[in-house]
Amino acid sequence: MLSKISLGRYYPAHSFLHDTDPRVKTILYFAYLVAIFIIKEPIAIGVLGAIIILQLILAKITPGILWSTVKPMMPLALFIFVINVFTITEGDVIFSWRFISITEYGISRAVIMAIRLILLIISTSILLTLTTTPLKMSDALEKLFAPLQIIKVPVHEMAMMMSIALRFIPTLTGETDKIMKAQQSRGANYDTGSFINKIKGYITVLIPLFVSSFRRADELAVAMDARCYRGGKGRTKLNPLRLTLRDVLAGIMFFLLAVLVVVIDFSLR
Amino acid sequence: MPEELNTIELQDVTFSYDDTDEVSDKSARKALDGISVRIERGSYTAILGSNGSGKSTLAKIIDILEVPDSGKVIFFGKDASDDELFWDIRANCCCVFQNPDNQIVGTIVEEDVAFGPENLGVPNPELRERVDQALKDVGLYKYRHREITALSGGQKQKLAIAGALAMRPDVLILDEATAMLDPSSRDDFLKLVESVRLRKKLTLITITHDMTEALRCDRIIIMNKGKVAVEGRPEEIFLREDLWQYGLKRPVKFNFAFEIARLTGEALREEDLKSDEVLISRLTEMLRKPGIKAPEINRITNKKSADQEPIMTIKDLSYTYDGGDAKAIENVNLEIRKGEVLGIVGESGCGKTTLISHLNAIFRPMEGDVIIHTKDGNLFCSNKKDTVKIRQKVGLVFQYPEYQLFEETVYKDIAYGLKMMKVRKEEQDKLVREAASSVGLTDKELDASPFELSGGQKRRVAMAGVLAMKPEILVLDEPASGLDPRGRQEMFKIIKGLSENGTTIVLVSHNMDEAAVNCDRICLIESGKVKCAGTPEEVFEQGNAERMGIQRPRIARFSALLRTELKRSIPEIRFENVEFVPESEAAAIVRAVSKAGVTDAE
Repeated sequence: MLSKISLGRYYPAHSFLHDTDPRVKTILYFAYLVAIFIIKEPIAIGVLGAIIILQLILAKITPGILWSTVKPMMPLALFIFVINVFTITEGDVIFSWRFISITEYGISRAVIMAIRLILLIISTSILLTLTTTPLKMSDALEKLFAPLQIIKVPVHEMAMMMSIALRFIPTLTGETDKIMKAQQSRGANYDTGSFINKIKGYITVLIPLFVSSFRRADELAVAMDARCYRGGKGRTKLNPLRLTLRDVLAGIMFFLLAVLVVVIDFSLR
Repeated sequence: MPEELNTIELQDVTFSYDDTDEVSDKSARKALDGISVRIERGSYTAILGSNGSGKSTLAKIIDILEVPDSGKVIFFGKDASDDELFWDIRANCCCVFQNPDNQIVGTIVEEDVAFGPENLGVPNPELRERVDQALKDVGLYKYRHREITALSGGQKQKLAIAGALAMRPDVLILDEATAMLDPSSRDDFLKLVESVRLRKKLTLITITHDMTEALRCDRIIIMNKGKVAVEGRPEEIFLREDLWQYGLKRPVKFNFAFEIARLTGEALREEDLKSDEVLISRLTEMLRKPGIKAPEINRITNKKSADQEPIMTIKDLSYTYDGGDAKAIENVNLEIRKGEVLGIVGESGCGKTTLISHLNAIFRPMEGDVIIHTKDGNLFCSNKKDTVKIRQKVGLVFQYPEYQLFEETVYKDIAYGLKMMKVRKEEQDKLVREAASSVGLTDKELDASPFELSGGQKRRVAMAGVLAMKPEILVLDEPASGLDPRGRQEMFKIIKGLSENGTTIVLVSHNMDEAAVNCDRICLIESGKVKCAGTPEEVFEQGNAERMGIQRPRIARFSALLRTELKRSIPEIRFENVEFVPESEAAAIVRAVSKAGVTDAE
């Protein structure tokens, strides 16, 4: 069950967006992040949705894969929706009972908030995780944040940490699944019982998981040592990042589209 | 000195891990205690020893992953204590470790292979060429753009080899690299490594618990308590009678040969062990000696007969994982009989674990059902209300159960299940102590933290945790994996003890030899389906095995050679059992020869 979460997973394929320089994708990602947070108008959101659909096509991502990334976040989207419906009290009241009142405006705001969250997840997936391998992403971040090295920020190490963390997500989710099964067969119960009992139940998973993560970390450190890893100094790259004209043009085009969405949004207010 | 340039030499090396926080009273123990070893360039050496004898530490010292407390390491003429030569040596010596998942850095095959040479600063056209060449050498070139998670265990280990080869080393160290592989990927992996070794003139050092694997080397070093106990050629080593004290034993076929020698009153010599052909002809010669007494075969009486009543019925069971297109198990029908030891065998990924996860309702059946027959009627895994009862009746111990311990003391860990079942305190105490003693844990160990114990002891704790719940059926997934030969034997003794006390046992294994000896019946799973089920004799019968494409136990394969040779040289020989007898094959053969009454007249 847990191993199906594809959050942060890479989807191997050859596509326009897979081949795009990860630095360009990272910058674009931040542009879209800002755009998603700024816009409020349904039409602007619709345009943004259309752009994201175009990106999905360019990344050759099938609806099934898309759904598997979005699915685990659905409860959160629903939560945000519900919170918004109940807390926004401005506008025409449709339904009210005691202290609860649901308004038309509240519903429309709630829908927009939920959609924005989903768009955020989708664009993180298509621009970053699904189309970029963790190592490439760490390369990109290392390059983009290289100037910070001047003020002694260990950019290479941080990028390496991030890529290893991503690389181990599937391994650790698999492990969690195994431990849960094992504890269940010893009588642990994660599905029923009171909230406190459930939390207690998870301790039986977390302790072994921590212990095993430390063991893995130890072993990985030895393995990396054995393969002569000694930080970023003097390292070469099998696939060095190369910014092509195509990358630059694609970057500019999508950046302008993001700006366009924001402009539309502002003009409608 | 040319000779010095061609050896790796450890002189009086001492090393201890300074983990005072982990094992308080053992912290002073030296992992390596004044060890001196010489390894020649181009040689193929096996390092054997029990768990905790210092084998892996030795490998780390050679690769300078650890620096000795005292003593000297000379690596092909270079002194390892010289900081300038440090990286040189490390780049020239590569390690492949046991757990494939914990040594892969990249997400994509070629990214991972490149990791080593990238660290060495190999510039680009050459880097690409090295990566491609290494992937071609191990046969993974066509998978170079694959995700790591899409590889099997065997492929991951080959990937690790490619990652090593891309660094163009002279020395390759395999630190139990085959321990997590099933027999066929193990053979496949070793053949690959050996052919690469010959082509690239590598010095190969392999650390292993598999004695048959050690037989492939030119030299064996046995370690004990941080020292070299014995070293020599494989024939020399396996002639020794004292292997057991180092936690080792002979390869199965030698065990068998020595048993025949004992029964015929002859002795095997070093030169007899050179090859299978020599050994077979020597055994035939022994057996042709006139006047051999027929040994009594103690028919193992505890073999459970076929008319036992079933305790569990698996009916038309199928299961598909979320998003998977193929069925993980398909239409499995199987009956588990009361009191038997049933072996479930098959290659990695054949669906064994999926199948056993159904036996105590961890997985609820999608199609079909698992029915447990008890005195008070049937329990159905498909019925949610029966779950608690089923989990109590059927104990399930997954592979490497030691990784699931979490309590502060061993006692509490064992008692966890009982606590969840709300068993009374006094009753709990009794059950915990019973379970602990049935797996051989002492009272002192009950108060220890589970994290202080050795790997083998931790595994016993985890087993005791399941046994405390007094299951009628115990399902064990590879209970002996990762243990040294002595540990394996002890584990099977525990299992036998449980079986004699009336527990029905389901044993998952990929070791055909152990399954043949320890199980009453065997069920072979292939691609999620039951391929065949029956007694070990039936399943591994040569004709059946050939028809079904089953890999027979090593001993069966070896004894088939001997039987054929005997039939050729003693035409009047008749074997009582047409096929091999797992526990007493040597006796069966000697008996047949004796009955045939060979005279040396010819």
